[in-house]
Amino acid sequence: MNILTKQIQRLSVVCLFLLPSTITSAQNQTTVVDSALLDRVNSLEQQANYIKPGDSHLMIVGLLTVGYVSNKTTVTYNGSSEVSKTNSVGDADHFEFSPMFLWRHGKRFLLEFEPSFTAGGLSVNWATVSYFATPGVILRGGYLVLPFGAYNKRLAAGWINKFASDPEGIPESSDFGVEAEGGLQAGTMKWSYDFAISNGMQLKPDGTTEFVGLTDNNRNKLFTGRIGWLPLSNSSLELGASIMTGKVGDVGTKFQNANANLFALDLNLVENFSPFQVNIKGQYSEAKLDHAAYMNPVDSSSYTFNNHTKTGYIMAAVRPMFSKNNIVKNFELAARYGNYTTPSNSLWGTKDNSLAVSLNYWINWRTVVRCSYEAIKGTNTVSSKLGGNTGEVTKSNSTYIQFCIEL
Amino acid sequence: MKIINNKKFTVLSLLILVIGSMIVLLNSCTASQKITMKSGAQLWGENCQRCHNTPSPSTFSPEQWETVGMHMQSRALLTDTERDKIVAFLKQ
Repeated sequence: MNILTKQIQRLSVVCLFLLPSTITSAQNQTTVVDSALLDRVNSLEQQANYIKPGDSHLMIVGLLTVGYVSNKTTVTYNGSSEVSKTNSVGDADHFEFSPMFLWRHGKRFLLEFEPSFTAGGLSVNWATVSYFATPGVILRGGYLVLPFGAYNKRLAAGWINKFASDPEGIPESSDFGVEAEGGLQAGTMKWSYDFAISNGMQLKPDGTTEFVGLTDNNRNKLFTGRIGWLPLSNSSLELGASIMTGKVGDVGTKFQNANANLFALDLNLVENFSPFQVNIKGQYSEAKLDHAAYMNPVDSSSYTFNNHTKTGYIMAAVRPMFSKNNIVKNFELAARYGNYTTPSNSLWGTKDNSLAVSLNYWINWRTVVRCSYEAIKGTNTVSSKLGGNTGEVTKSNSTYIQFCIEL
Repeated sequence: MKIINNKKFTVLSLLILVIGSMIVLLNSCTASQKITMKSGAQLWGENCQRCHNTPSPSTFSPEQWETVGMHMQSRALLTDTERDKIVAFLKQ
C-alpha cells in the first residue's frame, strides 16, 4: 500500500512538472494560429480601406445614338415638282454621343455635366450643381435644361424617345440660371414644381429668338416654371403646365420692352394592361412675341407680323412587355402625330403636319434597335413680298434604322 | 427709379412669399397610408416606367445607385421617400 502511495505521489509530481509545459506548448500553438489570422484580418482590413466608399463619388454614364436614314423630299410649287433623295450611314441628323459625368459630394451636392458630340460639333447639354436642401427642395445653378414642357428634360434622349426623330418645333430650352424644384406627396396624389430664372432669349432680326448665353442682352431675366400633377396613386398619369416669360429685346433699342410669352401643356400616361404596357405622351405649346418691326431682306423696308408659333405632338406606344415569349415581349410599336405652325408672313412661315411610326426591339432595358418611318408635309406661308414661295408644299419621307444605348 | 425699386421690391416679396409658402406646404403635406406602405420595388416599377424601362438592380453598384438616385430624383421630381426606397431596393 505504501509502495503504491509513493508511486502515485511520484507520478503526481511528474504530472505537475509536465502539465505546465504541455499547456505552454498548446498556448504557443494557439498564438501561432491567432497571429496568422490576425495578419490575414489586417490585410483584409487594409484592402477594405482602399475600396471603402468615401463622401465623394464620381461616375460616368451617358448615351449613344447612331443609325441610317434614307430620305426622299418632293417640293411642289406652281404645279412643278422637284425630287431629291439622300441616304446617310451614321444618320447625321440624329447621331449623338453624350457621356454624362455625375459627381456626388455626400448626400447633398451633385454636379452634373453632359458634353455632347453631334453632327453639329461639340456642345454641352447641361453643366450644373444641385443642392438637395431639404425634403422636397432641390436648388440648382449653372447651365440648365429649363422646365418648359416635359420633353426636353425627360424624353429627348435617344434611348428614351420611342422614335428616331424628335417632334418638330419643341422649343430649345437650355440656359444659364438658377432653379428650384421638388416633388411632394399629398394624400394619394403627387405634385411637383420646377421654377427657373435665367438670362433669357434675344429677339433676332427675322423675329426668331435664341438664348443669349452667358452675357444677357438686357437687365430682365427669363422666368420658366412647370407644375406637375400626378392624380393617381400609382403615378401612372402626369399632367403638366408650364410658362416661360421674359423680355427679349436688346437694351437701349426701340424694342427693349418686347416680351416673349410661352406656355405648354404636357401629358404622360403609362398603364399596364397585361400582357401590354401602353404609353401615351403628348405636349402642346404656344409662343407669342410682342409686335416688333423687322427688316425685309428684299428691299430693306420695315414689316411686321403676328409672331405666334404653335407646336404639338401626341404619341402612343404598345409593348407586350408581360408576354411569356422572350422575343415577343421585347417588341414595341409606336405612332406619333405632330403639328408645327410658325407665323405666316414671317421669313420662316410654315405649316407642318407629321406622322411617324416606329417598330422598336429592346435588347435590354436601356438598349434599343428601331426601324422608324416619318412623313412630314409642310406648306410654305412666307409672304411673296419677302421673297417667299407662298403655298409651296414640301413632302419629306424618311426611313430610319437606329441603335440607341444608355451607357 | 422709385418705380423700378418698388417693382423690384414687389417681385422680391412675391418670390419670398412663393418660396416660403412652398416650404410650409412641403412640410405640412402628408402621404396617405396607402402610399407609405409601398415598397421600394413597387415604387421602382411605378416611377421609372413613366419615362423609360425599369432598370435592372445589377446595372450599377450600391455606391453608384446612390449617385444615380440623386440624378433621377431631380429628373423625375421624386419625393425623398420615393428616392430612398427605390435606391434601397436597387442596392440589394
